[in-house]
Amino acid sequence: MNGHQIQSKIISMGIEVLDAVRQRTLDQYTEGPSVKESRLFFLLLPFFDGKEWSPEIEASAKTVSIVYAALHAHDQVREDAPIIKEQQLTVLAGDLYSGIYYQMLVNTKNIAMVQRLASAIIQVSEKKTSFFEGVVRPLEEVEDAISIIETELLMSFYRFYGFTEYETLAKQALLYIRYADELQRLQSKNYSHALRELNTSFVHEIYTEHWLLEKLDSLHGKILTSIADCSLDYELEKYLLHQITPHQHRAEQLTREG
Amino acid sequence: MEKMKLKLLYSDLGPELEMIEKELEQAVDSESLLLNDASLHLLQAGGKRIRPVFVLLAGKFGDYNIDVMKRVAVPLELIHMASLVHDDVIDESEIRRGRPTVKAQWNNSVAMYTGDFILARALERITEIESPRIHEILSKTLIEVCRGEIIQIKDKYKLDQNLRDYFRRIKRKTALLISSSCELGALVSGTDEKTAAHLRRFGYFIGMSFQIIDDILDFTSTDEELGKPAGSDFIQGNITLPILCARKDTEIYAMLKANLNKELSNEDRLMIVDTIRSSSAIEEAKAMSDRYLEKALRELSFLPKGKAVKTMRKIAYFIGKRNF
Repeated sequence: MNGHQIQSKIISMGIEVLDAVRQRTLDQYTEGPSVKESRLFFLLLPFFDGKEWSPEIEASAKTVSIVYAALHAHDQVREDAPIIKEQQLTVLAGDLYSGIYYQMLVNTKNIAMVQRLASAIIQVSEKKTSFFEGVVRPLEEVEDAISIIETELLMSFYRFYGFTEYETLAKQALLYIRYADELQRLQSKNYSHALRELNTSFVHEIYTEHWLLEKLDSLHGKILTSIADCSLDYELEKYLLHQITPHQHRAEQLTREG
Repeated sequence: MEKMKLKLLYSDLGPELEMIEKELEQAVDSESLLLNDASLHLLQAGGKRIRPVFVLLAGKFGDYNIDVMKRVAVPLELIHMASLVHDDVIDESEIRRGRPTVKAQWNNSVAMYTGDFILARALERITEIESPRIHEILSKTLIEVCRGEIIQIKDKYKLDQNLRDYFRRIKRKTALLISSSCELGALVSGTDEKTAAHLRRFGYFIGMSFQIIDDILDFTSTDEELGKPAGSDFIQGNITLPILCARKDTEIYAMLKANLNKELSNEDRLMIVDTIRSSSAIEEAKAMSDRYLEKALRELSFLPKGKAVKTMRKIAYFIGKRNF
């Protein structure tokens, strides 16, 4: 499978998600369902890598994408008052997407997957809330929270269908992307909740920046090893490194500057 | 006070409801202290628990086993709770049941994640039941409830909407979840299809009556009784049945139109509330609620006589005639 085919499949999955949750008022007032390309890539990775991919698995992958979209919508709800129509509908968009993922899995009689995803959502919600607890926690706990937020839904999917060989690679790559994103946020002073938590742990932003750079450096090495462990073919490896984790060059540059 | 009166009507279910209450507490137990606090904060504020009550009562028409019934009753109450936390963000509500809302006590983000957490707990629990039918009904209900709320926001400040729009909205917003509570209670206890259908319709009609009365009370109750300013629906742009009935009077229509979607002084608000209160709109809206109530009672007449029907009838009367 070449890069173009991989890209087409990811786009097609994105469109299917859009079609599944389409609602006129939401289309008009909200940003619509948003699922990062990297998440779609990793959901489809077993397919790209030639694993047995039934219509049931394809449908499940789509519902996981919808859950990602639901949770993402709720991440977009701000603290502004008075709340505007777009924000009110963003709350409801997330709720509607949750109902749709449930119904889609029910229609394919996949109740067990509903349960798995519900358990994953519980963990993700717990970790997201942990950033508001106002306590200084060990760095490992912050890392663990970020890791669960980024990967738990995907891990549930992998475990459910026995695609566990991709777990390590997907975790490393999704964390890499998240940390690269946090680094960018830090530099533009656009703080996320996780970043605020890291800044609290490190006391000064400069240490947060160094920590993120070190993380990116170390994760990059690990990703290369994991790709080799998974024996991904050349095209897939190239796509992963160039499209999904394209921050490498910037990270290297920043490391040198640092 | 009124809530206590209502609870007396189903005091026969006391031990079962206590069990449900404990299960609800367990269900919201979380390793996150904040989520735990936020969920318990909501749970301990109380509530009528009308959905679990209807699940249990509907179950009395079949093979009633509380261990099975609670697997539906608890998730349905959790779903209702989750929607309340998110509704408070949408409506910017500071107080619910006399206590600060989750969004007021913490913030919008915490409220969003608390709602997601509680809904996920509900789904995690209800998926212990394998019957596809149960899940088909519930998932459809969840979607319709959201669509109802989306339409409500879309229709805000539209004084010229028709009655059908209003009824369709309250069906989705309120009646469907009560209707599903009755139907799911019936199905999980193994009643026949006919009984389940009567119970579903009973729930639907009583849900419609319940919401109409709620909308009336927003004008006829005092600020203290409501725990929020009377006329809040109008202030927020929600065009409810009393307004739709009152607007037939051209003078009232002009007054409503002039005050819609603008910052109202307390004096203006009270003037609007008074105008609606003293118009024929309240009686007209009550008459419509009564029609739903009659339909609900008619459905009960098709069910086998017994304690459950008696309690359901009492609850129906109470809901239809409540003053607060």
